[in-house]
Amino acid sequence: MNSTLTLLRSLLGTVDRGRGRLIASVLLAAAASGASVALMGVAAWLLSRAAEHPPVMYLTAAAVGVRAFGISRGVFRYLERLVGHDVALRMQSALRLETYATLAATTLLGRRRGDLLTRVVADVDAVLDAVVRVIVPFASGGVVILGTTAAIAAFDPLDALVLLASSVVAAAFAPWLARRLSRDADAEAVPARGALADAVHEISRTAPDLVAYGAEDAYLDRMLAVDGRLRRAEQRAAWVRGVATAIQTLGAGFAVVAALVIGSHAVADGRLGRTMLAVLVLVPLALHEVFADFAKAAQTLTRASAALRRVQAVLDAPPVGRGDLDAAAHDPSPAIDLDDVTVGWPGHEPLLTGFDLHVRDGERVALVGPSGVGKTTVAATILGLIPPQAGDVRTRGRLGYLAQDAHLFATSVAENVKIGNKDAAAEQVAAALSSAGLPIDPDRLVGELGATISGGEARRLAASRLLVGDYQAVILDEPSEHLDPATADALLDDLWAAMAGRPMLVITHDPDVVARCDRVVRLDRADAGAAGPAGGRFGV
Amino acid sequence: MASASTARHGAPGDQGPRVRRSRGPLDPRLVRRGSATRWFLVASVAVGCVNAALTLAQAWLVAHAIAGVFATRTLDGVGTAAAMLAAVFVGKAALGWAGDWLAQRASAAVKSQLRRDIVTARLARPLDAGAASGGLITLVTQGLDALDGYYAKYLPQLVLAVTVPLIIGVAILTADLTSAIIVALTLPLIPVFMALVGWTTEARTQKRWRVQTRLANHFADLVAGLPTLQVFGRARAQLEGLRRTQSAHRAETMATLRLSFLSALVLELLSTLSVALVAVTIGFRVVAGDLDLATALFVLVLAPEAYLPVRQVGAHYHDAADGTAAAASAFALIEGADQDGGSGHRPSPAPAPDRAGSASLVAVRDLGHTYPGADDPAVAGVTFDVTPGAFVVLTGPSGGGKTTVLNALLGFLEPTAGSVLVDGHRLDATTLPAWRRRVAYVGQNPGMVNGDVAGNVRLGFPAATDDQVRDALRDAGAPELAPDHSVGDDGEGLSSGERRRVATARALLRIRLGGADVLLLDEPTAGLDSGAEIALLDTLRSSGVTAVVVSHRRRVIERADAVVRIEPADPREDVR
Repeated sequence: MNSTLTLLRSLLGTVDRGRGRLIASVLLAAAASGASVALMGVAAWLLSRAAEHPPVMYLTAAAVGVRAFGISRGVFRYLERLVGHDVALRMQSALRLETYATLAATTLLGRRRGDLLTRVVADVDAVLDAVVRVIVPFASGGVVILGTTAAIAAFDPLDALVLLASSVVAAAFAPWLARRLSRDADAEAVPARGALADAVHEISRTAPDLVAYGAEDAYLDRMLAVDGRLRRAEQRAAWVRGVATAIQTLGAGFAVVAALVIGSHAVADGRLGRTMLAVLVLVPLALHEVFADFAKAAQTLTRASAALRRVQAVLDAPPVGRGDLDAAAHDPSPAIDLDDVTVGWPGHEPLLTGFDLHVRDGERVALVGPSGVGKTTVAATILGLIPPQAGDVRTRGRLGYLAQDAHLFATSVAENVKIGNKDAAAEQVAAALSSAGLPIDPDRLVGELGATISGGEARRLAASRLLVGDYQAVILDEPSEHLDPATADALLDDLWAAMAGRPMLVITHDPDVVARCDRVVRLDRADAGAAGPAGGRFGV
Repeated sequence: MASASTARHGAPGDQGPRVRRSRGPLDPRLVRRGSATRWFLVASVAVGCVNAALTLAQAWLVAHAIAGVFATRTLDGVGTAAAMLAAVFVGKAALGWAGDWLAQRASAAVKSQLRRDIVTARLARPLDAGAASGGLITLVTQGLDALDGYYAKYLPQLVLAVTVPLIIGVAILTADLTSAIIVALTLPLIPVFMALVGWTTEARTQKRWRVQTRLANHFADLVAGLPTLQVFGRARAQLEGLRRTQSAHRAETMATLRLSFLSALVLELLSTLSVALVAVTIGFRVVAGDLDLATALFVLVLAPEAYLPVRQVGAHYHDAADGTAAAASAFALIEGADQDGGSGHRPSPAPAPDRAGSASLVAVRDLGHTYPGADDPAVAGVTFDVTPGAFVVLTGPSGGGKTTVLNALLGFLEPTAGSVLVDGHRLDATTLPAWRRRVAYVGQNPGMVNGDVAGNVRLGFPAATDDQVRDALRDAGAPELAPDHSVGDDGEGLSSGERRRVATARALLRIRLGGADVLLLDEPTAGLDSGAEIALLDTLRSSGVTAVVVSHRRRVIERADAVVRIEPADPREDVR
């Protein structure tokens, strides 16, 4: 709760005139609610005064007031919604950017992707709810309660006190109770939602295997079990929301009945003009109408807080690795030097110890070893995505890396190539593509996960990023994978030609690739059997 | 593992969840689904009607108590009125509670049903990469929540918008004709304006939903690609593009909201001003002595109540529009599965059983496939036979359509030309389940479920013992892999070579224990080192099953009984 407020406050600080916008929307909301209360109060007085049959001119002002409040309520509400949504959307954008920037500065291996999606997309959206559906209604509600109580106090302090008390019950206690009671249910709903996203992601990702092995029904049932958990959590929240609604109705009833009794006594005793009795009784009715959605707002706050806490956890997680690789470091004699290095993920068992590796100008070194020994982790260490656990890693020159599973973005082929060199001209992009053996239209769109492109094409597209950029030293991770021998040979020829004279580290198990290298470095397990293969996971 | 999808030749990206034009807030498909929750909806409406009756009683009691004190300046009857009012409020409180509970139950049942249908549809088309994972997740979680407003609020409120004004209107009519006429004249204007506003904003709402879905995918895409971006030093640079996207999204949303809220403004203006009009009119008629105070107060308290349900329909109209927009995406996915029959569930056109291949276990005849939206066939004119026990290798250049042929053998896609015959019968909805039970499959990039290695191997035969799992792993060339080694999302924790061997162990279990006698392997030795490769191939040959293997590897091809070379389809060739 406090951390949510801190987060919201800091976001508000990043928004241009954020504080002013927020205050404006609260005041506009208060004016809108106040207008409906005033409409009922003035109308009640108008009818009561009319019953005394005065000259019509005594009623003109009240009649004008009633009409004015009737118009202004809608106008104020409209403005309040616009101003409130605007500031909330600005805060939401700010949080998305901050979340992205944080994730960009850390290595993402080991995080559950479906859950991460929910975090970034859904949890960040909670900012909108928190501002528009929680902060603005509650703050403006407080202003209206104080204003109305002050106005009533001018006529009957005791009744004003009762009105204040009933308002606090309906606008604060009932929502607080609802929030307290439903906290468990709501807190359960957020992870259930994440689990549901995970389950759907898993099914979507493994669909061919599940269908081929006849396991689709089992996994569908598993997803439905998660759905059931989510549904039960939402049901409990609804049940509790019902309790709060009931308490609010009782609060309104208490205010109306008390106003009737107190006001009647005051009129009978002559302490109160009889035209004010209707005002005293009908104003609470209109005021309590303002609180109708507050219980729901309080539950929205719980949900939003839980979601924002998760975002905060992502923001607070200490970064692993250094995020972006430094780009421009050109060097006349590029090289890769590892001395007595211990390779492994931060906080995990080392995969390799006492590892030496030296790749000089023009040298092509093949890195081979059994699957899972940590070859890719070595690459991540050399690249600086993760620090060595011990020893000395020195690289000179601009390092390029052809990943085993390079991501293809859902945009054009050209944009994907330009990841390697954002300033590349159209001719350079076309040249890189054709050098990589992929003479396709650069304007063609790549579907999500590269689904419109074959395995070989994906690898060649990834390789063309290296060709389009000026990379002085390169690490190739299984460059011939998924390619038929002819295409692989052609691609390797192009890569070898393009990278001539530059240090090259080639992770491979393909004898044809090894044969193209000057020397071979063989990896063995640090502690055969004990260290789990590729145990590069970290929690958040 | 981002770029590696099992479906190398999936449908083009524009075949994703098509956001069709929704059919208005009363989409018949949604109302039909409402039958699952009919009794909750009926109960919600009943609660609303009883609530309206209690509101009448409340207005009558308040008006007469005030008027009594006003006239007599004594406390006569105040105690009774107060007690009765208290009882009315207790009744309303109970109804409010019941109403909230019923509303939630109404939407929950429909949401669960839609989730099941969406995921079932996804499984019916296992290769459908067009159903972008990010969009699918957004739809199944937040997207369907938009239906809460639809079933919990909009539908019951739609009925109450007719019944409650009728109840209140009749009550006002019995008290005062003029006020009843004002209400009767202004009230119908609200639905008219609502329809006008809804009509003008629907296209914008649809557009907003599309923008949000695209944004969700854009975000997910960026995050999934972060390791790649970081390697090229471009992750932080994307921040600027993201900032622009965000800013464009905000501008788009605000433009939509200005329009949407304008409709709310018109509705509130109309209803509040009508109440003001009623109040002033009755005020001047009370002065003239045409109306007594009790009746006037009764009408004043009731007038807003007549407009309330209609206004709430207006307030929930945009909930409903969001709900129907989300539902349209859901139905596009669900109905897409029915129509496309991606897994071969479409009735085959004129099978004409080809007995020519009757000696074969599998006979592929002039097979061709053109992906939806593609100009040229991915593969064409493929013909070959697989005799029982044979080891057939499919080879050919990258992108030549080998995986497409394998997917046709699995029934993951229905070829657009030619046929696949199993034991002389065409693969279709009736023959497919039995065929799939005979098949063990290892994809190019096998899917790994969350859990551990043993759980993944046991997909092949769930009842396998620990020893059987261990044996399968050993024979698949992964003796060092611990069965309890944990497997995260996207196969996290396993190298791609290990993933493939786990999938191979899975296939071995299915053959040894699950009764499968056909192996379909897509590049089984990719990612394996030489020793493991030979071990695996020997295991395959010794198991004696029929095998169809996609590979470029010389060592694999050397071991084959038959080699089928699949060339890229010649675009000039007429495949129809």
